[in-house]
Amino acid sequence: MTLPGWTREPLVHFLLLGIALFLFFAWKGEPVDPASRTIAISQEDRARIALTWERTMQRPPTDAELDTLTETWLREEILYREALRLGLDRDDAVVRKRLANKMDFLASSIAETAQPSDQTLRDWLEAHPQRFADDTTYSFDQLYFAGKSDAAAALERVRDDGDWSGLGQVIDLPATREGVSSQAVEKQFGIAFFEALQTIEDTGEWSGPVASGFGWHLVRLRDRAVGTVPAFEDIRDRVENDWRLATLERRKQDAYQLLRDAYEVTVEK
Amino acid sequence: MKKILGIVVLVAVLAAAIWWLFIRHDPVAKAEDVAEAEAAVTIADYPQQVLWGDTHLHTDNSIDAFGFGTRLGPDAALKFARGEKVTATMGMEAQLARPLDFLVIADHSDGLGATRRLYDAPRFMIQDDTLLRWHDMMQESPEQSQLAIAELITAASNGTLPDALRDPENQAENTRNIWQAHLATLDKYYEPGKFTPLAGYEWTLMPGGNNLHRVVMYRDGYDRTSQILPAPALDGNITALFDHMDAYEQSTGGKVLAIPHNSNLSNGLMFELTQADGGPMTAETARRRALREPVVEATQIKGDSESHPFLSPNDEFAGFGDVGWEIGNLSLTAFKEDDQLAGEYLREALKRGLSIEQQTGANPYKFGMIGSTDSHTTLATGDEDNFFGKHTGNEPNGERANAEQNLGTRVGRFGWNYLAGGYAAVWAKANTRAEIFDAMMRREVYATTGPRMTVRFFGGFDLGETDFAGDWVADAYKGGVPMGGELSDEGKAPQFIVSALKDPDGAHLDRVQIVKGWITADGTTREKVFDVVWSDMDTRRSVGGKLPAVGNTVNREEATYTNDIGAPQLQTVWTDPEYRAGQNAFYYVRVLEIPTPRWTLFDAVRFGIELSEEAQKYAVAQERAYTSPIWIGPAPAAP
Repeated sequence: MTLPGWTREPLVHFLLLGIALFLFFAWKGEPVDPASRTIAISQEDRARIALTWERTMQRPPTDAELDTLTETWLREEILYREALRLGLDRDDAVVRKRLANKMDFLASSIAETAQPSDQTLRDWLEAHPQRFADDTTYSFDQLYFAGKSDAAAALERVRDDGDWSGLGQVIDLPATREGVSSQAVEKQFGIAFFEALQTIEDTGEWSGPVASGFGWHLVRLRDRAVGTVPAFEDIRDRVENDWRLATLERRKQDAYQLLRDAYEVTVEK
Repeated sequence: MKKILGIVVLVAVLAAAIWWLFIRHDPVAKAEDVAEAEAAVTIADYPQQVLWGDTHLHTDNSIDAFGFGTRLGPDAALKFARGEKVTATMGMEAQLARPLDFLVIADHSDGLGATRRLYDAPRFMIQDDTLLRWHDMMQESPEQSQLAIAELITAASNGTLPDALRDPENQAENTRNIWQAHLATLDKYYEPGKFTPLAGYEWTLMPGGNNLHRVVMYRDGYDRTSQILPAPALDGNITALFDHMDAYEQSTGGKVLAIPHNSNLSNGLMFELTQADGGPMTAETARRRALREPVVEATQIKGDSESHPFLSPNDEFAGFGDVGWEIGNLSLTAFKEDDQLAGEYLREALKRGLSIEQQTGANPYKFGMIGSTDSHTTLATGDEDNFFGKHTGNEPNGERANAEQNLGTRVGRFGWNYLAGGYAAVWAKANTRAEIFDAMMRREVYATTGPRMTVRFFGGFDLGETDFAGDWVADAYKGGVPMGGELSDEGKAPQFIVSALKDPDGAHLDRVQIVKGWITADGTTREKVFDVVWSDMDTRRSVGGKLPAVGNTVNREEATYTNDIGAPQLQTVWTDPEYRAGQNAFYYVRVLEIPTPRWTLFDAVRFGIELSEEAQKYAVAQERAYTSPIWIGPAPAAP
């Protein structure tokens, strides 16, 4: 059975979650009713308190300790309810921000924990190939000269007889590079050289003089291999990370927009 | 109706359980993927290209960074470092022109995430008066928030932090959650061979405001690092940290090192001649220290610790980035006496190492040098033209250069005292955690104050002459030792090969110097700076032992310079002309660029402001690199 497309929409998930929450609370009643002065502490509540303690202390609490913990919890709960009764939650910037954060978190937590299907990720890869494409790589030879005129003169010589051995001045840069990434070229030769390299044709002919931060170069670009997108199987993790981060942001925004649209806002200026 | 709803809830619970048991994101499984990717990386025979990184970056998990206003976390830090555009806390877009190769996020272990929790905590839940006041200040405004954190730092250094913040038991649960989530994030961004996040934290020992901080850095991934918690420092001492490191290595089989930093703010305590308790240093302490701390951070935003004019009066280039930081300790709760400087600056510490070695047989201060940022903005920016500030309060704005920057104290430091930070240059055989870590252990690293110049440094006795063409590097590895290495005295003068290539997108080089420190038979330590190669050697001649200045092309109105002076590359083979057989010594290289504008000058032009007279005086500087030393000493006795 194939589910219809709309079931994959995050908006629908969010709405369903909202409805489920609404129904759940409608069924169960308000968890904390400020007006209520009845507090029942169930076995489960005590187990939860004990568990929190155990995670910190690496051992279960004794009965006496658990009683104290329960007492502390109760004290907090009573003060919390009374604070709500007094309306201390209103006009408190922190409470306001905290609740807003929780709403944001609610919207994004689904994306955080969701396990996308391979199809979702394949679609994502197809929609954003440039984020995963291998770097373009370059294979080239270069000769270095401190002065531009020396470089120009050498270019004529090398064009005449094709022999470049012994030409160029000594510098601690490789004369020959095979299949190096754009990033590596830029890192080693600098931004100016890299930009120039992008405009050179990969005909295997010498060209120049090309400026760099070091001086001047003659360049022979032998091959430019434009990056390809790797097979999905090889980069599944990367795709998933990328999908997750982007989806997280979008869901937060979508969820907010949904709520925002229901409000009419006027701003006096 | 209730029945239907009950079923709905039951189904939801079942679905959640299935997710938790079977398809939840699992960091341990991820660790296996990481190991596989690491295994696929080619390891070179010897280091071919230098890797650039920052080992000292803070995000919103740091107690002070959050308080200062940073709202960006580790994800943003890693994206930024690998070259992506991010929006800084104060709203500006930020991107590195050139990405970094590796990054250590070093959030403070004390109170990891505590300020963020304090900030988020409901007001009525906070029982401690001091915490409540800080909470309110953090909410009130960025300025008040900074003031609150200044108070917090002072309280930490005076040992008067509220119990809720100092009690490690109290913090353990929170720390564990943040630490493990952080480690999982690191694995997510790790691309072996391309970009490497390493696990680490900052250990912040600060007795009386004297800075004894270390960055702790791990070689390992989630499977090992998640087994421990970062060591707290506030009530500790250095032995406790070393014990913690030993215990980690023994229990997990992993590896860890520590990097002292801002020794310039320790009021003489970082590189003492004695034990911490005042007695003479034992060989065991010395050995332990050398083993645990193979590298030291020589330069960063809060000043440069390489040399000081008081200690090196004959070195005209000593004193880079010292202004403002030499008046007292970190919190400025104690001013500095001249006799404390010797325990603070690296060159002197290297000399002290020789002294202690002469007395005990072990050298505690046999360290290499790196630079880093110590940025608290989540953004690792080490360049002058993109300085994003020490903390969010001085992300680029018109006031920051002239502003008083005393973090709550009322004396002496200004915005312009801050440096733009530095970088760690690492000669690793591949861009992986293991290779980067191992390069630091063998000290094959160097520091720069920001520019990415490529510096090679080899020492040996039979290196021969080189024309610096062909495979000279491979030959040098065969015939000698690289930076960080040790030579056994053979009774003849050691020979050194230096090669410095400018930053391809930066300024030309002025000169290359070799700094030598040695100890005489009677125990006196000495130092000397040799100019070994410089630009325009034909016309720039040494007069009375001093080389004329390279010149200055900086246009102060436009914050520009030209590369009309200096040289793109400086290389030489140098033999120590003052070698004495049997004398223990170290040699390290200092490379100077031609003068360039500092970040303050870029600010002045960008924001159209007038720099104060003092700020103006220090608006142009010669940026530099420091290599790790090569030591020479007696051959180790045959076993």
